[in-house]
Amino acid sequence: MKVLVIFAHPVETSFCAALYKTTVETLKKAGHQVDACDLYAEDFNPVLSREERVNYHDLEINQKAVESYVNRLNACEALVIVTPVWNFGYPAILKGFFDRVFLPGVSFEMVDKQVKTKLTHIKKLAVVTTYGGTRLRAFLVGDPPRTIAKRLLRASIGLAKPVSYLAQYDMNRISDATRARFLAHVASHMENF
Amino acid sequence: MRALVVYAHPCPESFNASVRDAAIKSLEGAGHEVRLLDLYAIKFNPVMGMDERRDYHERDKNEAPVAEHIDHVKWAEMLIFIYPTWWFGLPAILKGWLDRVFIPHVTFSLPDGQGPLEGKLTNISKIAIITTCGASFLATKFIGEPGRRTIERGLRHLCMPKCKTLYLAHYKMDTSTDESRRRFLTKVERSLSKY
Repeated sequence: MKVLVIFAHPVETSFCAALYKTTVETLKKAGHQVDACDLYAEDFNPVLSREERVNYHDLEINQKAVESYVNRLNACEALVIVTPVWNFGYPAILKGFFDRVFLPGVSFEMVDKQVKTKLTHIKKLAVVTTYGGTRLRAFLVGDPPRTIAKRLLRASIGLAKPVSYLAQYDMNRISDATRARFLAHVASHMENF
Repeated sequence: MRALVVYAHPCPESFNASVRDAAIKSLEGAGHEVRLLDLYAIKFNPVMGMDERRDYHERDKNEAPVAEHIDHVKWAEMLIFIYPTWWFGLPAILKGWLDRVFIPHVTFSLPDGQGPLEGKLTNISKIAIITTCGASFLATKFIGEPGRRTIERGLRHLCMPKCKTLYLAHYKMDTSTDESRRRFLTKVERSLSKY
């Protein structure tokens, strides 16, 4: 399968970067064709500009500013997102990727005033993520990143498609052994992706 | 009270700009001292860079890149967020403001052992969120309002215990009318004047 892997952490030596590396390498070893998209390394600008906002609903020109990303999204058959959770949300660089690339005509279209999803070529989705806080605290906040993956992204690719959410909570306190276990868990998931 | 209005929309002619003006007028009318932080106007960079992430947990050092914004947040007794809801969440520029400004030691502290995170923004006793959504009320509820929760439950936890919150949303913006928009502005003015 053609898999687009999106990564959103600025530090190369971070645990998240290790998760990204493992994900990409394991997927490749399993025979997938991987398009690795490191948003920080590619210097992605997450700020939707005035011009983009004005042209947002104009299907002929709204993709211009982010054409290469639209093409990469359209070319993939599976999507994997590797990201930290900051402030109970995705980092701005990833949030802006959704703001700017998941456009009308790309991720959805309006047919008879109903929203119709357009990312049906994506067969499966996985989110690999790390939280500073505990699972309980995330639950109390309503775990926004999890609901985005499980509901919003799932709705975008088709509700019947498989969505896996691999999360390591409590990063500030967990041991090396727990981290290693999670890394192995991610690797085994990607082997059978 | 001292009210910090954090505003995030790229178009000066947008409805959100009218909401901002109505909110400021109402707050000033009620005797509050208002500061406006227009994130697009100041070209705020929402991307937390590598050095900033490395120093994230370093006391004092982590404040340097956003010192001016921390001053605003420490000054405020009330935070008012005005933004369009994009993709059911906060625009990236606003999400990045939270990422970069709400940092450890200044806005919260982590206990050494077990125990909950402790909020340090006890100067803030009220939060208001005013937003516009393309989606309907039901669709928004189904997705679970990730943007609203990030502020109302996540950020609120760092403020004064029992910090009050107010949430006003105009849904289905794409089919809004002059009338519905006018009604919303009136609601914003009325709600804030007694908040």
